[in-house]
Amino acid sequence: MTAILFDGVVQGLQLSLLAVGITLIYGLGGVLNLAHGQFAVVGGVAAALFLQFGLDPISSGFGGILSAGILGLVVDRTLLLPAYRYRGEERLLLGLILTLGFSFLVDGYLNWQVPEFSLSFRLPVPMVEIGGIPMRTASLAASAIALAVFAGLFAFLKLTLTGKSIRSIIENEAGAELCGIDPSRTRTLIIFLAAMMAGVAGVTQGLSSSLGTEMGPEFTILGLLVAVVGGVRSINGTLAAGILLGVVNAFASHYVGAYVAYIILLSFAMATILVRPTGLLARFT
Amino acid sequence: MKSISILALVLALVPAVAGDSAYYLRLATLALIYMAWTVAFNLIFGHTKQLFLCLNALAGTAGYVAVVLAKDAGLSPWLTVPIGAAAAAGLGALFSYVSVRRGLGVIFLGIVTLAFSLIFHNLVLGLRQYTNGETGLVTRGLGLPLLEQPVPAYYVFLGVLLAALLTYHLLMRSKSGMAFRALSDDELTAQLSGIDVTRYKVLAAAVASAILGLAGALYAFYNGIVSPSVFSFVGIDIPVLIALLLGGMRTRLGPVLGAAAFTLIEEMVRPWGQLNVLVYGVLLIVLFTACREGLVPLATRAAAAFRGRRAPAAGSRRVQEAER
Repeated sequence: MTAILFDGVVQGLQLSLLAVGITLIYGLGGVLNLAHGQFAVVGGVAAALFLQFGLDPISSGFGGILSAGILGLVVDRTLLLPAYRYRGEERLLLGLILTLGFSFLVDGYLNWQVPEFSLSFRLPVPMVEIGGIPMRTASLAASAIALAVFAGLFAFLKLTLTGKSIRSIIENEAGAELCGIDPSRTRTLIIFLAAMMAGVAGVTQGLSSSLGTEMGPEFTILGLLVAVVGGVRSINGTLAAGILLGVVNAFASHYVGAYVAYIILLSFAMATILVRPTGLLARFT
Repeated sequence: MKSISILALVLALVPAVAGDSAYYLRLATLALIYMAWTVAFNLIFGHTKQLFLCLNALAGTAGYVAVVLAKDAGLSPWLTVPIGAAAAAGLGALFSYVSVRRGLGVIFLGIVTLAFSLIFHNLVLGLRQYTNGETGLVTRGLGLPLLEQPVPAYYVFLGVLLAALLTYHLLMRSKSGMAFRALSDDELTAQLSGIDVTRYKVLAAAVASAILGLAGALYAFYNGIVSPSVFSFVGIDIPVLIALLLGGMRTRLGPVLGAAAFTLIEEMVRPWGQLNVLVYGVLLIVLFTACREGLVPLATRAAAAFRGRRAPAAGSRRVQEAER
């Protein structure tokens, strides 16, 4: 029981890392990023390449995360420019299709250049015992990293001036612009941050199990489901939803099998959209 | 109407040209299936602005319903294919109705239908006792011998495509066509001028899903095997979206030409193996940023400009209108 719960929380934290990025880009940029999982995969693949070049694991991890961030920067400054020319529904549609196309581009390229490539870090101590329960060190490390990233993100959003301007844009873009905030620069910053967080998810995936080049679409879908359930404009809601769905998924996979678990998650997201489009947990933020 | 007859004539001659090569005939048959799917998607996405990302699931539901009923219940495919198509139509209408009622925007309808597409995939994998999971079911010898011979099968699918085009033509000529045009211009204005938005959106979704389902169910029998990879998102939704953009949204012949062009492009990249996914991505990006009109409007304008040199300008405008 506790082991399943623990697994669920670990997996949930990772999903939250992805989902918060999707939430931030949607809230700030008005673009639903369907290539978000690919950012994670690119981060992981870059880390693995750095490892191959002989860098130590920690710098490779940071290198991978930074690579994902740079990819996000490039996407924002090139691919999404046509979408930013529009507003509202039109921008959403164009952004959705462009990022969908980009996700195929990345998948196709990785499949062509580095097929059957996988990243996995091995820690020196595989298991530790905490309170009588044996736990995998890798899972603990992955959760600790995710929590640290979230702490950093919340501190950034609550305490710094830039963070406050970001929150003001999420609340009301036109109002923020009237106060002298430049939405386009903030948008670039946030996509950079969101892509780096996806990179963290990719690298920690390599830590707790292994990361393959074909996992992009799955990451995107799971992140999207969590973002939808958490409320696509609420960051705290997304964090909570990630943990909730991670736990639900872990228990469902254990008791009724992976397919049914996935169907439960999908129905959860569908029901959320139909019943409370602002997000199931949005009110608690 | 004239353009559809010319198209029918041209397509009917294809087996005479490619009849000797089983490979090219199969390619042409697949192109017909994609053409029918794209005509249907044009109704949903082009005319009524509903982003359905579950074309594979709609076609696949019809395919699996038709095959499983024929196999396990022993019904004749002549009965199960229409049942499959009706199931797809019902699902499409349901999604459309719910999305209009709940006021879902293009994004949320996209997410809901994408979720349905994944649910379909996992259901097929999970309901192993009916669907045989990843391996799939063999459909050869289930009672549709017509679809197991290459040339008759080609004409069956040509019939499906022509039926789809005729349905489209009749719909667009009737009152619904006017409603669709008004809807795609501005939904609120359409509603204010007394058009029942819910009704026409659901109508478009139901008719288009029925076409998707009919072609999907017949495809399941034609293909000889039905498995999750036959009805995959990458294999159906993305090609149809690209074909529609290539040909031109809200045009009558655009979907047909777009699907034909897409088949050619895919044939060209085939030698490079797995690269087709990359090509899909590039095509989606380029088409949506650079050329959102498609081939048919471009060609129509070129033709109008060419004729305009001899005919007065008003005449060329009428030609343009008639051809669209």
